[in-house]
Amino acid sequence: MPEPVQYRGMTLAVPDNDSEWREFYAHARAHRLVMRRCSACGLMRYPPTHACPWCMDLGWTWQEVSGRGTIHSYEIVAHAIQPGFKDWTPYPVVLVELDEQRGQPTPDEGLRLVANLVTPDLRPEADKNVAIGKRVRVVFQDLADHMALPQFTLTDEPAEGRVWRLEG
Amino acid sequence: MVVQERGIRDRYCIVGVGETEYSRNSGRTTRAMAVEAIRKAILDAGLTAAGVDGMLSYQNNDSTFAPFVASDLGIRLNFYMDVVGGGSSTEALIGLAMGAIEVGMCRTVAIFRSMNGYTEVRIGGTGARAAAPVRGPDLAQRPFGMTSAGQNFAMTFMRHMYDYGTTSEQVAHVKVAHSKHASQNPKALLKERVTVQDVVGSRWIVKPLHLLDCCVETDNATCVIVTSAERARDLRHRPIHVMGVAGRVSKPRIDFHWAHGPISRVAGYYAKDIVFPMAGIGPEDVDVTGSYDAFTFTTMLQLEEYGFCKKGEGGAYVSSGIIELGGKRPNNTSGGHLCEGYTHGMSMVIENVRQLRGTVDDACPRAAEGVHTYDDTPGRCRQVKDAEITMNLGWAVPPTGSALILRR
Repeated sequence: MPEPVQYRGMTLAVPDNDSEWREFYAHARAHRLVMRRCSACGLMRYPPTHACPWCMDLGWTWQEVSGRGTIHSYEIVAHAIQPGFKDWTPYPVVLVELDEQRGQPTPDEGLRLVANLVTPDLRPEADKNVAIGKRVRVVFQDLADHMALPQFTLTDEPAEGRVWRLEG
Repeated sequence: MVVQERGIRDRYCIVGVGETEYSRNSGRTTRAMAVEAIRKAILDAGLTAAGVDGMLSYQNNDSTFAPFVASDLGIRLNFYMDVVGGGSSTEALIGLAMGAIEVGMCRTVAIFRSMNGYTEVRIGGTGARAAAPVRGPDLAQRPFGMTSAGQNFAMTFMRHMYDYGTTSEQVAHVKVAHSKHASQNPKALLKERVTVQDVVGSRWIVKPLHLLDCCVETDNATCVIVTSAERARDLRHRPIHVMGVAGRVSKPRIDFHWAHGPISRVAGYYAKDIVFPMAGIGPEDVDVTGSYDAFTFTTMLQLEEYGFCKKGEGGAYVSSGIIELGGKRPNNTSGGHLCEGYTHGMSMVIENVRQLRGTVDDACPRAAEGVHTYDDTPGRCRQVKDAEITMNLGWAVPPTGSALILRR
């Protein structure tokens, strides 16, 4: 089993038998964002799971995605619960909807990921810059030789649709 | 729509309720507290230990188990289970108790929850919970500093604000209403009435949630006792009948519910189609609601999803005065999780049972006899006059919830 990774006071444990996450993080460490893609119906899913939630097929392959998307919702953590995040507050957590597979297989579905919105140098993005509708791209935060976290950063692409943030 | 092959409406009753003090320093084990709450509920029902032969509890590896407390009280069990679960378990276990009695496994079930939610395993997620290794499904969230209930739920509310224009001030009215109710509840932890400005002026915890949008971590144990309507007729109180129940109804993709939107939709969207047809009523027939107010906005989301107002109009509904004592349909008349104390849903069912009996434990001198002043100034009465039907809206997470409709 690879050494558990220490990050912000947390032990991130990805044992050898954790096929959901081990290869996902290996790809992330090579700075590729990958999704599991169903061998039968072709739909991608996140987080990595063992059966297709649409057709129940067990076959899958890793599929690289562009890592570009839009902020679908967000929150700003002012009061950290994990002690290791106290020096990061206030920090944004974003729900990113990737460009791939938007509105499929039903209009309400999409490939969505939770991550932090960070500056290009991996610091938490300022509250005033976080808004639903803004465009983002993936960046990778290297944690160990076998693990990196996919994070997101703002791009200068024009936003799609209405852009909104909670004032105050 | 679930079709009932054989109706359960009015065939089961809640006959006993009990709880310990709500505190932030119990100084006792969960076992000691559970014993007290169950004993009180048994006595409230007019039963003895021999009259209870089933037990159900729920917990998150933070409590005692049925075999211990049953033995402490001299109860011989024909059926018991201790299940993993938090919010929304109360209503679900009431339904399971009815099923256990229906098939003949037992006759009367005590359902309890005991938790040192402030002094031992903090419900807010700090301490031991924050220190646990992160593995498996947690890797999709916790490495990003998303751990607590507030952090897990906040993005649902933020998207609701985006989709429908809901405001912080609107949902602050939930805390205002519940604090008014708690001011008439001698056992509430937070009895002081607050204003909208108090809520939106309190510090951010996880934006869009302020400190006063969040409930209060509490040490307590609670118990409700379920039996058949036939048996209930011989017991101490007016029987409170179960009209309908829905247990842990869920959205698609519970594990990562953001994959399946709209993310501002919650589980009540599905649960309403089970519980209302079973009860044979609609939301307009309900006199009192008991929502799961882990946060102000969770109340708003549930009320609109169950059809007490149109989807998207929850902000207007909760700020209209309807949910306050004296309003058309008061919600959480005990003060709920925001003010009375956090019980993982039990206390809102207990309160509704007392409302239907007409014996809410307020400061009215003859409250226990059902004589009330209906004076809603602080420190006085919180009985709703002639309450006939109540509904509980249980919440675990945005994609999972339960519901319970009771009548007197």
